[in-house]
Amino acid sequence: MPDSTGTIYDIGYRGYDGPRLGRRGAIGAIVSAGLRAVFGLGRSGRSKILPWGAVVLAVLPAGVAVAIRVLAGDLIDLYSYDNYLWGIGALLPIFIAAQAPELVVNDMRHRVLPLYFSRPISRVDYVAAKLAAMSFGLLALTLLPVLLLFFGRVLAAEDALAAVGDEIGALPAIIGSGVLHAVVLASIGLAICSVAGRRAYAAGAVLAVFLVGGVMGGTFGSQGGGLEAIAPFVNPLAILDGAREWLFGGSVVESPVGAAGVPMYLYGLAVAVLIAVSWAVLAMRYRSVAT
Amino acid sequence: MPLITTRALTKRYPGNVTALDGLTVEIGEGVIGLVGANGAGKSTLIKILLGLLPATAGEARVLDLDAATQGSAIRELVGYMPEHDCLPPDVSATEFVSHMGRVSGLPAGAARERTADVLRHVGLYEERYRPIGGYSTGMKQRVKLAQALVHDPRLLLLDEPTNGLDPAGRDEMLALIERIGRDFGITVIVASHLLGEIERVATWLVAVDAGRLLRTAQLTDFTERTGQLLVETDEDAAPLAQRLVERGIEAHADGRNMVVDIASAGDGEFSVYDAVRDESVALSLALIRIEHRRHQLEDLFRDA
Repeated sequence: MPDSTGTIYDIGYRGYDGPRLGRRGAIGAIVSAGLRAVFGLGRSGRSKILPWGAVVLAVLPAGVAVAIRVLAGDLIDLYSYDNYLWGIGALLPIFIAAQAPELVVNDMRHRVLPLYFSRPISRVDYVAAKLAAMSFGLLALTLLPVLLLFFGRVLAAEDALAAVGDEIGALPAIIGSGVLHAVVLASIGLAICSVAGRRAYAAGAVLAVFLVGGVMGGTFGSQGGGLEAIAPFVNPLAILDGAREWLFGGSVVESPVGAAGVPMYLYGLAVAVLIAVSWAVLAMRYRSVAT
Repeated sequence: MPLITTRALTKRYPGNVTALDGLTVEIGEGVIGLVGANGAGKSTLIKILLGLLPATAGEARVLDLDAATQGSAIRELVGYMPEHDCLPPDVSATEFVSHMGRVSGLPAGAARERTADVLRHVGLYEERYRPIGGYSTGMKQRVKLAQALVHDPRLLLLDEPTNGLDPAGRDEMLALIERIGRDFGITVIVASHLLGEIERVATWLVAVDAGRLLRTAQLTDFTERTGQLLVETDEDAAPLAQRLVERGIEAHADGRNMVVDIASAGDGEFSVYDAVRDESVALSLALIRIEHRRHQLEDLFRDA
């Protein structure tokens, strides 16, 4: 007999017998949630403006360069694979200042960390997952535009197949510099944010480090008298440019690296120091958090 | 098999502060009250059980896993609700609980489904889509409980879950804890310094003091009838007790309360009721309450 009145059943508590993904799943969840935070996904429209604005601005020159190549052929080369990241350098600190605090500051400030640490992950896993999220996010600026430039140049050529042959040699350098920039900048950014108490302070501190570094580097570079040799080493972006040139070659005219005239391996050393210091700061900061 | 076993568990913090002092205890299923004054070592014990804090000496096993070496596996099957605030204000309860479900190892789809289930069970409905920052303390406590439940743990560790709640909120939280233990079949360990609350929900009691085990007891045994009747009147009960004693019944008045020994009446429980009724009518005393007196949890500490 059909029940015509209809009933709402309280189905009670249901257990869970499905798969448990453990530590691996936990780390994956933090990375993907972190990536969503970096790009303001699932958040208000206002919090999307900055990250997506930065991505658009970073990609724009690649688009222009490809357009010029299509219209004017090989007449001018505004952007090459080598100088692209230096060219959009100003966008990187802004992107980091706006988005890195989203990843770490609230968990620390509102004491959410004990909840994470009561899950199948360790403190190192947590920090590594956040670093991965920030690095992947940064690739949208440090790798995506240069890849676009690459594909644009290939597709704009009259003989695309031959162009692939010409350009393919640049691919390791493109990917290598993109990843290098992303990982080092993410490390610096998160280290600074992890010691700041609030998101606004964190953003300010990130901007300050890069602005001061940039200005000091510029001043030193134009002073002469030996100062130009240390000029690149006060600016993280110049250190990265030097390391890029050391690893993959191709000098950038505007960068203080050329004028410094120091052995190139020093930039590799400086990058190692930057990473070591950043990770040490992160390790100390997160070790001191009570469970 | 016990869910938790500790053997001579000791934790000393730098500066010679001893939080746990050779604690040996076995904890089985049910709702377990972990009682002790603030600083008795309850939170330290919980952190060692979660594998987050190394013990100075001794060993702890949870779900037959070693807390010192298999913490990650333990934490996959245990839910933890800390005492302090631990919620980000700018995300919704749905978003947060579902995220924590995934961080506990659930696949994304399962985390979403279970979040909806669990938030309904803890009593969060329309408000679950709003940012947590705007929630009342009671609602925040429910979110904290939900994030501990979302991955269907076999064991729940709740650290002072009624902290900061008003009396109505306390009642609701305690009812929820009782339901989780009884209907959900999840063993719950409730750490609290409030005996009166533990008494209402716990089936077992583990009392710790200064890092040592004071006593474990099954509360159903413990709160059994004492063979005494507790009578409350609206005025001084002394004249009533006097009259009962004249009838040969053992009775002691204490202000408006009176304790009557049922066995002393000789001819059964009901004659005691009759005597109390008749004598209070004769004295024009209003009776407020007559009940079997049970052991109080406080007695447990008095004995120890």
